[in-house]
Amino acid sequence: MTDLLLSQVKVGGESQFGTDEYVVNLGPQHPATHGVLRLIVKLDGETVKETVPVLGYLHRSIEKICENRTYPQCITYTDRIDYVSAMSVNYAFALATEKLMNIEAPARAQWLRMIFIELQRLASHLLWMGAFAGDIGALTPFLYGLRERERILDLFEMTCGQRLTYNYIRIGGVMIDILPDFVSKCIAFLDYFEPKIDEYEDLLTYNPIFLERTKGVGVISPEMGINAGVCGPSLRGSGIACDVRKQQPYLYYDQVKFAECIETAGDCWSRYKVRMREMRESVSIIRQSLERLEPGPIEAKMPPVLKAPLNSEIYSRIESSRGEMGVYLVGDGTAKPWKAKFRCASFSNLYVLDQLTKGWKVADIMAVLGSLDMIVPEVDR
Amino acid sequence: MTNEELKSKIEVDFKNDIQTVIISAQKEAIVTVSPEHYVALCQKLCEEKEYFFNHLSSLTAIDFPKENKITVVSHLWSYKHFHQLTIKVVADRSNPKVATLENIWKSANWFEREVFDLYGVVFEGHSDLRRIMMPDDYKKFPLRKDFADDGFIVKPS
Amino acid sequence: MFTGENIIQIVSGFLHWAYAQVGISALAGAIDPVITAIVMFGFISVFVMFLVWMERKVSAHMQSRIGPNRVGPFGLLQTVADAIKLTTKEDVKPVNRDKIPYFIAPIVAFVATFMGMVVIPFDKGMVVQDLNVGILYIIAITGFTVIAILTAGWSSNNKFALLGGFRSAAQIISYEVPLVLSVVPIIMITGTLSLSGIVEYQQQAGYWFIFPQIVAFIIFITSATAEANRAPFDIPEAESELIGGFHTEYSGVKFAMFFLGEYIAVVVSSAVAVTLFLGGWLPVAFLGFLHLPGFIWFLIKLVSVIYLVMAFRWTFPRLRVDQLMDFGWKVLIPLSILNILITASVWLLLYGKGAQ
Repeated sequence: MTDLLLSQVKVGGESQFGTDEYVVNLGPQHPATHGVLRLIVKLDGETVKETVPVLGYLHRSIEKICENRTYPQCITYTDRIDYVSAMSVNYAFALATEKLMNIEAPARAQWLRMIFIELQRLASHLLWMGAFAGDIGALTPFLYGLRERERILDLFEMTCGQRLTYNYIRIGGVMIDILPDFVSKCIAFLDYFEPKIDEYEDLLTYNPIFLERTKGVGVISPEMGINAGVCGPSLRGSGIACDVRKQQPYLYYDQVKFAECIETAGDCWSRYKVRMREMRESVSIIRQSLERLEPGPIEAKMPPVLKAPLNSEIYSRIESSRGEMGVYLVGDGTAKPWKAKFRCASFSNLYVLDQLTKGWKVADIMAVLGSLDMIVPEVDR
Repeated sequence: MTNEELKSKIEVDFKNDIQTVIISAQKEAIVTVSPEHYVALCQKLCEEKEYFFNHLSSLTAIDFPKENKITVVSHLWSYKHFHQLTIKVVADRSNPKVATLENIWKSANWFEREVFDLYGVVFEGHSDLRRIMMPDDYKKFPLRKDFADDGFIVKPS
Repeated sequence: MFTGENIIQIVSGFLHWAYAQVGISALAGAIDPVITAIVMFGFISVFVMFLVWMERKVSAHMQSRIGPNRVGPFGLLQTVADAIKLTTKEDVKPVNRDKIPYFIAPIVAFVATFMGMVVIPFDKGMVVQDLNVGILYIIAITGFTVIAILTAGWSSNNKFALLGGFRSAAQIISYEVPLVLSVVPIIMITGTLSLSGIVEYQQQAGYWFIFPQIVAFIIFITSATAEANRAPFDIPEAESELIGGFHTEYSGVKFAMFFLGEYIAVVVSSAVAVTLFLGGWLPVAFLGFLHLPGFIWFLIKLVSVIYLVMAFRWTFPRLRVDQLMDFGWKVLIPLSILNILITASVWLLLYGKGAQ
């Protein structure tokens, strides 16, 4: 780091005035980094020469904490890994544990999980849309996004009493059954929400300034994207089919009809468009799941103390709102995991930031960072 | 390929490189490779058309203080064939050294930095092996089982 | 009829009576401008406070919120509360600042934009000083803000502030050119630089210049928005990139001066737009039966133009700095030069030589 900060480039050797690189510290407290991410940016005028992310400001070592907690206790911590999309992470951990211990959740619980994960995807994408537009300078979509997100959070609150960290999806099922009027309220929300997507698209998608700022900016080529570990909507923007829901179906995703949203340009606009289209697909998934929902138990029969077999291990992946979410668990015959690893989409997506911004302007860092849908607690864990 | 096919094919193709290849109780194919063949094996798995593991999904390590070893675990996925493989390589716990996968999958860069930071595994040939989560001047390796920091309670009751 | 001129006569009559009572009639020539300035200051301050409230209400409306509604009726006193908060707040100063420029910058920013108000005719005769080079004066005096912003950016000793200052210099210099060029056709037509003269020409001609000069109007509004550092041209203070830009290190009263300076810049440029293109104090033709005083018409038009500028801000994303320069130099300047050429040719064809 020191050599980076001290490095100087002298231009025009004979002049007594050398020109220095302009090293700017974006963060850890900065409006555009969505949390405590720190970027050391080397500038030549307005042009970015290098972006070095410095991580760890939100490192809580959740993986270490999980080693000292029983499996059901860990679920609470998974909420904090990605608090914008807590349901997905809840489920990622529950899925890994269930596979590790051969637990099969009943059908109603599975459908409920699907409904809530997709609602969570809507909520997460809405917040992302607002934050992305805000990074580019349009402040209005943020409020629109939050307006609809509130109603999703109301649905969550109605079911599990929480609005941010739910701890709703548990090992072997879900925490509590939905209220009788949940289905009608959820359908009412979806009917209200679907035209709103058109509203956002009217406001942003083909806005000339928005196009200027996002088209052709931060292009991830397919080869580079795969090789650098980019995943989720960000990679689908480059034309790669990488949806875990399609490739390694979990829950009942193989029983519902939905399209995998793929755009080919690989720029910020494509990533934006992928997420906007995903919202429509999520609405369709929720509708289908609500139709298939049948009465039944919501929790599997489980032993009172959950113990993983000795020397068992599992790596399971789901498609969280941000991309591929992997959980690696190693059991040692006790009630606590020997090792828990969370593979988070933001972490691997952030890696390409330097390559995407090199040679672009300062403002493009914000556009690219926004379009990658990065969230700091997931990066640092 | 299913995991069974993967297992039998790897057994034939990489007879000399690997130590064991098993199907775990959770039905995952797990390859344990000797350190000297680690990179060559990964290179082949990434490039050969029948495997084509183009996506390094995750790379982490497990600490086994009793056996005095640290196992570096990587999980591969193929966007083409939709199959998954776990690769394990064992390192000595007192002086853990493993070759880097960075030249095969760029994404290994940060994964390996994280493992270096939290487990102290040195990845030989890595381009930028610095601490990533902890402060640069931090001395300990938090995810090792014997880690104890001032004020950190190892086993809460 | 209750017109601007009448009001001026009544007020000045009262003032001269008051001078006579106190016995300082001899000093009237010296005191009159002072009193005018004070009245002007008071009026503009109140108007700007109203504008800040209006901006918040407009943005709230566009973002489906309610906006300020606690202090006073409809939250009208919210800005007063904010102003009190800002003035009573601790003035946090960076230790390694360049002390004198750091102190002067907000004053220059505030005063420079404010002085633009001097030549704006609110009604016939209702103007502080009707300069015969009014337009030149306004363009010159509002150009001062760039010095203030650059000084602020430099003296704060903050990297973001410096970046913001440089961006601002590049931006204001680029957009000054189309701004001036867009005004040229009107000067060519009217043959005067005085703002009152231009309004009077529109009165005689019977049309507003927005109709023949719609291109110039669009260029003018765009450049004026850029001059005032308003979104979508707010790159010098882009909060998602540069935190606060040039005013990152300013707080309290000094920040308030930058903030008010920005709004006054909006008022001045909108007022110039109203005067040049929308007929100043002239009534709207089909609403002429209302018989409102001229300055009311002026204010109505002014608020409408300001609303337009506010609507820009809450609808568009922000341009990138190089795109901003491209837009200025490659689109607006050629367009405005073309506009001058076409106007001149048409004018020559219609009226021949010596049209004036």
